[in-house]
Amino acid sequence: MFRNILVPTDGSALSRRAVDCAVQLAKQQKARVTGLWVGPAWEPNLYAYGDSVPPGFVSRKQHAEHVRSAGERHLRAVREAAAAAGVRCTCACVEGAFPYLEIVKVARRERCDLIVMASHSRRGISRLLLGSQTSRVLALADIPVLVCPP
Amino acid sequence: MFKRILVPTDGSAPARRAIKRAVQFAREQKARVIGFYVGPPWQLPIYSDYVPPEVLSPKEHAAAVKRTAARYLAAVKQAARAARVPCSVRYVMAPHPYDEIVKEARRRRCDLIAIASHGRRGISRLLLGSETSKVLAHSGIPVLVCR
Repeated sequence: MFRNILVPTDGSALSRRAVDCAVQLAKQQKARVTGLWVGPAWEPNLYAYGDSVPPGFVSRKQHAEHVRSAGERHLRAVREAAAAAGVRCTCACVEGAFPYLEIVKVARRERCDLIVMASHSRRGISRLLLGSQTSRVLALADIPVLVCPP
Repeated sequence: MFKRILVPTDGSAPARRAIKRAVQFAREQKARVIGFYVGPPWQLPIYSDYVPPEVLSPKEHAAAVKRTAARYLAAVKQAARAARVPCSVRYVMAPHPYDEIVKEARRRRCDLIAIASHGRRGISRLLLGSETSKVLAHSGIPVLVCR
């Protein structure tokens, strides 16, 4: 029923559970897993428009490099889990200020047919509310979403 | 991976689509489907002091809910029968559907809830259905939200 399962991760322990759930499901469904990590967007430092470049300045290239290496680190968990279960896995790492938008976009681009997400992660647990990115993905996605509880 | 799938329905078109998906998924998972409907409890409609004459008695109300439940849950039974998936159904009367859904999932030891993203109160692209979002917030097991 599902052929390509998207599992966005932010590297937290809770999203780790979603990764395990996605990999287990993919193994059983003979599906493949697409791991995704969304890094922060590059924000040009205003000082840099003058002649003086402040010492903390990060250029767009440097930023992309940071995002790529951080993404590699976070996505390693997905790769390893998939390899351990013998599931085919591709990983994507994108930049964006709004992770939920990127998640929905990548789901469309990669033709995923299921998104697996943790109900909460980075921003902590409030039993009454769903995680912010998860609830936005739920509102925007046009494919089913499997929400894993903490 | 999933053995017992709870499928709550409110009889709406999105819920019927979710039923189809859930049953298809259950067949692949070799899982059992549990159809579930939460009807409204009996309530005396009171407009300040005035009680309208055409009020249903608690008994009549219970019978009406039973009929509604039978109709809505027939969709689950039918889909399950067509896919040869083992299926049972149940309904309750309670004021808060999400609460009953979460409780029923626990009671029946379900390992997945398959639910539509929206039901009766219609679609707003920006928001998740009210009962669905409450189920998501309170559920201790994974929830498959069907678009």
